[in-house]
Amino acid sequence: MNDSRSALQEIFRDVFDDPAIILRDDMKSADIAGWDSVMHIDLLIAVERAMGIKFATAEMSRLKEPDQNIGSFVRLIDSKRKMG
Amino acid sequence: MTEQHQPTDALVSHLQLDVSAQQPRFAQFIRDLKHFGKEEGPESARTWACRAVNPRLDYSSLMKLSRFILREEVRPSSMRVLRLAILGGATTIQLRQLIEVFLAGEGIAADIYEGDYGLFRQEILTSGSQLDAFCPQFVFLATGARDVARYPAIDADLPTVENLAAAELADWAQLWETAHSRWNATLIQNNFETGLARVLGHYSLRHPAARTHYLGRLNRILAEQAPSFVVLHDVNGLAAEAGAANWFDPRFYHEFKMPCGADSLPTYAHSVVSLLRAALGRSKKVVVLDLDNTLWGGVVGDVGAGGIKLGLGSGEGEAFLAFQNYLKDLSSRGIVLAVCSKNDDAKAREPFERREDMILKMPDIACFIANWENKADNLRKIAERLNVKLDSLVFVDDNPAERALVRRLLPEVAVPDMPDDPAGYLHALARHRYFETTSFTREDAARSRYYAADSRRQELAAGTSDLSSFLKSLGMRIKVEPIHDLNIERATQLVNKSNQFNLTTRRYTLAEIREIASDPEWHTLTFSLRDSLGDNGLISVILLRKQGDTMSVDTWVMSCRVLQRGVEQFTRNELVEFANKEGCGWIRGTYLPTGKNGLVANHYADLGFEPSGANDGQTFWRLAIARDVPPLSHFIQRESAHE
Repeated sequence: MNDSRSALQEIFRDVFDDPAIILRDDMKSADIAGWDSVMHIDLLIAVERAMGIKFATAEMSRLKEPDQNIGSFVRLIDSKRKMG
Repeated sequence: MTEQHQPTDALVSHLQLDVSAQQPRFAQFIRDLKHFGKEEGPESARTWACRAVNPRLDYSSLMKLSRFILREEVRPSSMRVLRLAILGGATTIQLRQLIEVFLAGEGIAADIYEGDYGLFRQEILTSGSQLDAFCPQFVFLATGARDVARYPAIDADLPTVENLAAAELADWAQLWETAHSRWNATLIQNNFETGLARVLGHYSLRHPAARTHYLGRLNRILAEQAPSFVVLHDVNGLAAEAGAANWFDPRFYHEFKMPCGADSLPTYAHSVVSLLRAALGRSKKVVVLDLDNTLWGGVVGDVGAGGIKLGLGSGEGEAFLAFQNYLKDLSSRGIVLAVCSKNDDAKAREPFERREDMILKMPDIACFIANWENKADNLRKIAERLNVKLDSLVFVDDNPAERALVRRLLPEVAVPDMPDDPAGYLHALARHRYFETTSFTREDAARSRYYAADSRRQELAAGTSDLSSFLKSLGMRIKVEPIHDLNIERATQLVNKSNQFNLTTRRYTLAEIREIASDPEWHTLTFSLRDSLGDNGLISVILLRKQGDTMSVDTWVMSCRVLQRGVEQFTRNELVEFANKEGCGWIRGTYLPTGKNGLVANHYADLGFEPSGANDGQTFWRLAIARDVPPLSHFIQRESAHE
């Protein structure tokens, strides 16, 4: 499993308070219970802190868009971590 | 599994750590908490989560705690619940959640109304709104520079700027007046953050129409003109403390309308709660200080008063001096200082008595305990001697083991993390905002002197075998007055701060006290005590309600500093005389037990009242004054109000 994705899975379990969450690339925000716009902000904050990255303004809500999924989110995180 | 351990062991062991040490193990704590909740029920888990709340935890950790805390709490029906409305210019969802978490951490039960985004003006001004039905006691206006309606053009001249500022303030004043007259609410008003956009650079300082200059002007007018029922929240100061470039996160504002960055939100929410805590009279009163490596470098028992690191000559020595300076300043604004040190008493006193460069001197320390007993016991002793509750104490010690011991044995005592480097001590203490206040009176400035005088009185008492000759020797005089403009702040403070000598523990805001003082049905009495050792200030307040021929005591509070001095007896005599003058036949009193006011359970019986019923722990008392009531004896002279 990709490094970022396993770290991300931990963050998801933590933020959504559900140790059973298993992330797959094709998952969308609707697939996770409780992922509303308020929880989305908490998720971004937790990811930024844990990964030491900062999303650009345009990227912050992209994950909630219909053509995006966990796979594209992991790629975004990876590209940011590389830029370090 | 370690079955032989108490299920609370893991939780206690976690909470005795410094927050810096808790943070990396926080996920485990949450798992323990969940496990505990399953075994013992959600209410028990909630209690532990509340104990874990600390302003130094990061946003995500506090949100995790909020899961345990923000569930329906079991409240006894008699419990007084704070009604707080949060009305924002920016979004308040996260802020509200954090405020709720910090209130729970303080043990303050609250119902919170959260306004719709950006609609604060309409909600206040429209009668019959949902907010109107909620009838808040406190209204927090979580507004900012973006909610200022008028800005001058950059080429506007000074009179234009002044007119705009006056018109802007008049709008805000209308909101306050409406909230105040409609709900008798106290307002907490953010000032305006001046931000980063200084288009004229440094020259903005000299140009009144520049945005930062104009906002500075508004902030100054706010501070000078906001009425006393408006408590100002210096959010601009918070941003400055953090550095505006760190405080704000424009991404989160533009995308989600959050007022500041995620790292700043806990600070912001905690700061608001520290003001609410102050308004409820629950700020801390005493700093208890360790000595070696807390007030100076090195161990005085080993190196002697001459060998400790203090003051000029070394950077570290100067850092200790700077910390002492801060403590001295706290003392002169009325925060009481005490010492709790593992030392030989004589050696521990030496630096205070012999070192010229010590900022703190013996008279600054209201209670000095240096011995080899455990610090939890000593802290109990200090609280007892100063006549304060343990939850009024802040314990400052450089030794993490002592901090852990006190956190474990006395969870009521506030114990901030202290860094290894003394240069960080001041900030480590200040960032907790333990000592916020919503007013500052002459009594506050003199409080440390009162406590010093109290310990002298204790010495005097110890040297006098017979209590009455001691009391006589004090030459006590009391001034009796109703509440008026000059004493209303202090009277309100006493009503809200007294926990032990408080018969009914009814809390009133300044606004409510003002209303009571002007209501013909109500009567107010205040008592200010002086003696040969100094001025004790205003030490007792009674709020009375006249109903037919009965004078009912709604509120009777007294400062515990003056217990056992005959003040209660003097006060009762005054009360009888006053009721007589008003043509009343009866005085009625109620005792409402709270868990903190056991001290006055027999108050009315001791003063000659007869029981007239009991209900659900409450007891009712009455005193017939139709016939002559013999005065109780004491050694206090009445002073006329004109002296």
